Amino acid sequence: MFHGRRASGKNDRKAAASARVGSKSRLMDYPGSSMIEVVRAGLCDLVMDQGRPGHAALGVPAGGAADPAALAAANRLVGNPATAAGIEIAFAGPALRFPTGGVVALTGARFAARRSSGAAVAWKQTLVLAAGETLTLELAEDGGRCWLAVRGGLAVPPVMGSRSTFLPAGFGGFQGRALQNGDSVPCGLVQGEVKWLRAEPPASLATDTAGPHCLRVVAGPQASWFDDIGLAAFFTATYRVAAASDRRGVRLRGAPVSHSQWVLPSQGVLPGAVQVPPDGQPIILGWDGPVTGGYPVVAAVIAADWPQLAQLKPGDVVRFETIAGDAAQILARQAWNIEELG
Amino acid sequence: MRLATGEATLARYAALRALTLPEIEDIIPADGCVLVVLRRGETVSPRLRQALAVDSAPAPQAGSRLHEIVVEYGGAAGPDLPALAQRAGMDLTTYIEAHAAVEYTVAFLGFQPGFPYLRGLPSRLHAPRLASPRVRVPAGSVALGGGYCGIYPASGPGGWQLIGHTEAVLFDPQRDAPALLQPGDRVRFVQPG
Repeated sequence: MFHGRRASGKNDRKAAASARVGSKSRLMDYPGSSMIEVVRAGLCDLVMDQGRPGHAALGVPAGGAADPAALAAANRLVGNPATAAGIEIAFAGPALRFPTGGVVALTGARFAARRSSGAAVAWKQTLVLAAGETLTLELAEDGGRCWLAVRGGLAVPPVMGSRSTFLPAGFGGFQGRALQNGDSVPCGLVQGEVKWLRAEPPASLATDTAGPHCLRVVAGPQASWFDDIGLAAFFTATYRVAAASDRRGVRLRGAPVSHSQWVLPSQGVLPGAVQVPPDGQPIILGWDGPVTGGYPVVAAVIAADWPQLAQLKPGDVVRFETIAGDAAQILARQAWNIEELG
Repeated sequence: MRLATGEATLARYAALRALTLPEIEDIIPADGCVLVVLRRGETVSPRLRQALAVDSAPAPQAGSRLHEIVVEYGGAAGPDLPALAQRAGMDLTTYIEAHAAVEYTVAFLGFQPGFPYLRGLPSRLHAPRLASPRVRVPAGSVALGGGYCGIYPASGPGGWQLIGHTEAVLFDPQRDAPALLQPGDRVRFVQPG
C-alpha cells in the first residue's frame, strides 16, 4: 500500500519503484499534488476542462479540450470527475515538477517523454510520481496533442463556468494564457482511493496512421451552393494543413472548392464546420473559433472524428469522406473503456 | 433554421430559450437564422420538433433593456468618419446626428465575445467592409460593417469602418453578466456633453 508517503527528492527512483511494486490492481490512498511547477513550458500548454457551452449567444464558444473524451478518460485514470481541469499539451511538451508527487495520466498523442526517476512513462494508464519528480515531455510522436490529468484537478478559478483557457480573449485557465517557465499551478487536494487503471479509446478512433487522415463529414447547410467541380475537388483531393492553423481553425491548402454564391448572412457555426472563403481553400473551424460565420459551410466533420482534428499538425494531409447522419450519431455515442490494470 | 427578419430571429431565439429543453446545449442567433446545438448523442425530441414547427410570433421583447452608449465620434478614434460622410453626401455633423438619431437593436453577438451586431443603421449610412482589414482596432471602437453597427469589445484585427470610440466595457468575463449587450437589447448612442 502507498499511504500518501512523501519521499525526498533524492529518493525519487526508490519511491517511484515502491509505488510500482504494489501496482497490480491494488487500491491506495494518495493525497494528490499541491501544485505543479513549470520547469520549462512547452509550445502551448493550456489548462482545459470540458469547456463552457451555453454562452455562444454572447459570442463565447464552448471551447474546452480539443478531445474532451480523452481528457475525461485521463481524469478517470487518476480518480477525478470527468469535468476536472487538466493540461492540453500541443506539439512540443513541457517539463513539469511535482514537489509533493502526484497521481497523473496521459491520453492522446504519444510524446517523447521521461521521468526524473527513470521510470517509464506509459500512456493511457495511472502513473504515480514521487515527491520532487519531474515529468518531461518533448516532441509529439504520432499526432499533435495530449492531455495530462492530475489527481485533484488543476485548481484555477472557473470563469463563466469553466476552467478552460480561451486564448483569443485571454481569459480562463491559468491567467488566461498558456503556461510559462516558472509558473506554479495549484492543484486540488483529494483524499481517498486511487485505482491502477488503464483506458482504451473507442474503436471509432482507430485510424490508419499511414497516408492521409480521413475525416468523415455530413453535408453542411450550404452544400447545395457548391457546383459539381467544387464538390468533386472537395471529396477527391487531399488537403495539407497550413501553418496558420490553431485552436480557432484548421486551415487547409489544396484544390480550390468552387461555388456560385459568396454572399451569406452570418450564421451560427460549430467546431468541425468546413467553411469555404472566396479563395476556395477550406477552413475547419476549431474549438475556439467564432460562433458565427459569413462563409458558406460545405460540410461538417462528425463529432466522432473531432479527436482526429485535435491531432492534426501543420503539414499533415487530410481527405474527406461522406457518412450518413444516423451512422455518425451512432459513432458519436462510442466511449472510452476504463479497466483495472492487471 | 432560416428566418425572414431580425424580429422573427429574436422571437424564435427567446421562445427556444424559454423552453429550457434538456437536449439543447446552446442556441446561437445570427443574421436571420438560429442554430440549435444539441448535447452530444442527443436527437431532436418531439417537443423540440413541435417548437420548431410552430411560428413564434414576433413579440415585444419584454426583457430587453435600453442602453445609452456614450460615443466620442471622429478624430483619431473614428478615422473612417470623414470618408463615410463624404460618401453619404453629408457634412460630419449631419452624419453623426443621423447615426445617433436612431434606436438600435442587438440582433446577435459574434466575431469576438460581446461584439454586438446592431440592427437599425439608416440605409444611407451603410458602409462596405474594408478591402484589407486593419491589423489592430482599439477596444471600444464603434464601427460600421455593411448594414450593421458594431462595437469592438477588445483590441484586435478588424475590417469594419471606424467612426468613434466608447469607454463602455462591452465584455468582462468576471462580471455576472459578462456581455453588456444581450440579443434583443436596445441601444442609443449619445455624445458626451
